[in-house]
Amino acid sequence: MNCQRPTAVKWHRAKCPRRRVAIGARAGSALVALVLYSAAACAADDIVVGASIPLSGPLAGFGSFQQWGYKRAVDEVNKAGGIAIDGKKLNVRLILRDDKTDPNVTASNTETLISRDHVTAILGSCTPVLVNAGALVAERHRIPLVTACDPLEAFKSVRKWSYAWDLFFHEPDLAAAPFRMLEAFKVQTNKRVAILHDNGPDGQVVGGQVWPEIAKSTGYEVVQNSSFPVDNTQFTSLIAEAKSKNADIALVDAITPQAVALRKQMASANFTPKVLVIEKGGEPVQFAQALGKLSDGVLVGGYWDPSFPYPGAADLAKAFEKQTGQTSSQHIADSYAAAQVLLDAIAVAGSTDAQKINAAIAKTDKTYVVGPIKFDENHTSKLPIVEDQWRSGNTAVVWPSERATGKFLFPLP
Amino acid sequence: MPSVELIASSLVSGFLLGGILALTALGLSLVLGVMRLVNLAHGEFLIAGAYAGLFLVKYTGIDPLLGLLVIGGVIGLLALPMHQFLLMPLAGKGPEAPMMTTFGVSIILQNAFVLAFSADTRAIERDYANVALTLGPVTVAQIYVIGFAISASVVGAVHILIAYTAFGRDLRASAADADAAATIGVNVRRVHALTFALGAGCAALGGTLIGIAFAFTPVSGATYLLTDFAIVVLGGLGNILGTLIGGITLGVLQSIGGVMLGDGYRDLVGLALFLVVLAFRPQGLLAASRS
Amino acid sequence: MAAQIASTRSLSVGAGSAGIVATALLLLGLSAMIFAPRVVGEYGTEIGFRALIYLTLAEAWNLLAGYGGLVSLGSSSFVGIGAYILMGMLNAGGFGIVTALTASGLGAAALAIMVSPAVFRLRGLYFTVGTLALGEALRLFMINVSYFGGATGIFLKSNPPPTEVLYVYAVALAGIATLVMEIYTGTRFSILLRSVRDDEDAASQVGVRAFRVKLLAFAVASLLMGAAGGLQALKLGAIEPYGMFGLQWSIDTLSIVIIGGLGVRFGPIVGTIFVIALAEALADYPELHLAMTGVILILVIRFAPKGLCGLGQDVCRLLIGRWDRPGMPRAGGALP
Repeated sequence: MNCQRPTAVKWHRAKCPRRRVAIGARAGSALVALVLYSAAACAADDIVVGASIPLSGPLAGFGSFQQWGYKRAVDEVNKAGGIAIDGKKLNVRLILRDDKTDPNVTASNTETLISRDHVTAILGSCTPVLVNAGALVAERHRIPLVTACDPLEAFKSVRKWSYAWDLFFHEPDLAAAPFRMLEAFKVQTNKRVAILHDNGPDGQVVGGQVWPEIAKSTGYEVVQNSSFPVDNTQFTSLIAEAKSKNADIALVDAITPQAVALRKQMASANFTPKVLVIEKGGEPVQFAQALGKLSDGVLVGGYWDPSFPYPGAADLAKAFEKQTGQTSSQHIADSYAAAQVLLDAIAVAGSTDAQKINAAIAKTDKTYVVGPIKFDENHTSKLPIVEDQWRSGNTAVVWPSERATGKFLFPLP
Repeated sequence: MPSVELIASSLVSGFLLGGILALTALGLSLVLGVMRLVNLAHGEFLIAGAYAGLFLVKYTGIDPLLGLLVIGGVIGLLALPMHQFLLMPLAGKGPEAPMMTTFGVSIILQNAFVLAFSADTRAIERDYANVALTLGPVTVAQIYVIGFAISASVVGAVHILIAYTAFGRDLRASAADADAAATIGVNVRRVHALTFALGAGCAALGGTLIGIAFAFTPVSGATYLLTDFAIVVLGGLGNILGTLIGGITLGVLQSIGGVMLGDGYRDLVGLALFLVVLAFRPQGLLAASRS
Repeated sequence: MAAQIASTRSLSVGAGSAGIVATALLLLGLSAMIFAPRVVGEYGTEIGFRALIYLTLAEAWNLLAGYGGLVSLGSSSFVGIGAYILMGMLNAGGFGIVTALTASGLGAAALAIMVSPAVFRLRGLYFTVGTLALGEALRLFMINVSYFGGATGIFLKSNPPPTEVLYVYAVALAGIATLVMEIYTGTRFSILLRSVRDDEDAASQVGVRAFRVKLLAFAVASLLMGAAGGLQALKLGAIEPYGMFGLQWSIDTLSIVIIGGLGVRFGPIVGTIFVIALAEALADYPELHLAMTGVILILVIRFAPKGLCGLGQDVCRLLIGRWDRPGMPRAGGALP
């Protein structure tokens, strides 16, 4: 006999066939009831904030920092008694979902957060592709979304946002930083620059447009500008070309697996530029752990360091290291700040109404742990850039001098 | 127009790299040729070997290249129960069932790696891996030369094993016709189990080399899986020496593609070549003879 | 596995009256679901949308792999092509959604027809590996070629329609897939495809034009997959190669059909419901969820080669067998 009326998961255990149909129908209606119940159960005795972040997949490292930062901000608010909504103090409940570094999942997670969990507002994922997926959903449902971890030009290029807000670095600033540093320290090089970048959204912007422009305008010669797919493994041709062109300065923009492979292949090809910048992939501590000595001297742009003169900066890093036993990363700061911005806006609005919260976010003008946050007409807020350098498995800020915590190593060891 | 040094170095690097990739593909070729099994978890065996090498040097200080046999042996042994409990019961049920089972194993292993070792990028850091060798216009990474030597040795050893030993004879008989081999007294089950273990061990060796020369993450196995399929098809299923030649061919062609079109097109060139060979000569570029 | 499927008595080519009733009920159920959004709310609609997309993909893949024996790991190629075509058309302006979705399907079918001469030279596991390579090659191509947006991808310029409207499209698409499968099982084509699956050479010898039969199945399946990809793109509003040409489409489709029952008429729908339910239940434990999918896949292949559907049938037959009165012939034939 054929399978009839497959409507519920455990129907195959039922005796058949008429009873199977009956049980199927009962299970089916139970499923519907469950859905309706959970819809009704979202009674507003908590302020619900949702986030879909990459807790598994290639970006799991970022996701874990985001998780910590978001949770900490929410816990702090709850410890202080919660947020006053229409006069009554309510707790904030944070719902985190894993999007497995898949934009399809970010989108469906965000939808579920909105439709089933009835979130008041959303905190964003990480990297343009994932943030876009979630932000587009939030935009469609007119729910405010605050995010960090999404470079501003990439964020702006998607559309003119009404409900999504981004605080992060501006790619041109990041790209200009090494050049400004070289000028400031009056470093002697042959001014020949090799640019190796991946063809992801920010790789294209930083490596494909901004670096060449700034190089030219500051008198450097771009002898090579090559792009490669985000998950490329072999870089021999690129490196050989950079070496043959005798570039003293190498600028790289790639994610960590590629950054590690590239640095290793540079060494085994005997290509040692005097200045090596590895954006994006050179930032997390796993980069230094995987490379050991080879990571020394690598420069990477940063937007936060515990030594910054902003409220709570040093304590944040200490708390992270104490609680998790891992090395602190700048990503805890931007996610912590993003969550605080959102929670502050909800407090200012004094309501869970999306429009009021959105308006309150627009009026944000305060200094957080990452610095002053004020959104412009494109819903972006720039974080200031510093240049970090790896030595012995740790980073030190080397530029600008006001922020420096270590001496600039030159040339690359 | 790229310089002579560039082209020469790229070609030689491609040649050597191809040899290393051949080692990663060897296990797949064995298993495909003898057991007609498409092992979709092959990439994960590679990565398991890389992790084994990483932890070997981290906790005992023994260089992974010295401990290669140990690494291969351990992974091979771990593969035996997988074959025993998951694959053997499916014998005779057609080729799709075991293939999808290995697929399931691949998913489980990838997530097991993430849970156990975190998703961080890893690399086995060895001083000799960061040195370049120069001979005339050609500059190549020293690790490529070392890796090629190891790969060629292993391929040669496996070839000797299969061509000249009793086990090898049983293996060839099982590959040619399993039923007939069974009737003349070959313990086909045992041969398959050992072949599977051997395949896993070879994959682990390749993975360790990859870990030393490059970097890896829990999910890097999939990329190598496809490259390895290309090599296996190029060289002919089950043809051991063919695998080495197929690997070298692929390496050289990828290098040419990289020099001409850019490194981003390397993998694409490899895949395109693979599809072309599959379409017009699926038995491999070399003659279809088994080794 | 193919041999087992062929010998199963429960697959009757002509479907019979029971099959028609069941399918009619299914179609009726699907039509009724159009009104579901008002009942189950937004969350249910979203889950329903996802389920319907997967159902379409699963039905298509079941046709190809279950009935046709063409185990393809390249579903992502067609999903991705459909997605990009839809985005391109809607961004170009002047095309309605139905037109764009139709174009997505036709484009994917065109891709299938284009690669078929090469791909059909491959048999069995070569075919599988070849489709896997095809999917990957297409993904790499889309990443490298900046005309299609490269790794950044494409964004939908206008706003996508609300979830309820998308849901109706999804119901329509799933309905078409169901209709296609019903037509398929009711016509002579199913006999032709089965003969090609079981023994292509023998079939050619008796006059079956194997290439054309396979091509038709391949094109139809790809058309459905392309349309599903287009619809998914419409919902996302932003697509790029990793998300739309990624291996997860091929993996998920295959898992659903295997778990539900390969080559079984209701395998796709059972598989879809099970997999979606599992995904929602384990949403907060991602590695566990993925590992469980792997484990279930292995268990199903080992112990229930006809999937959950087949398992149910076996249990059924087992129990009915026990309820036979002595002396009466067993219903449904021999026990497994």
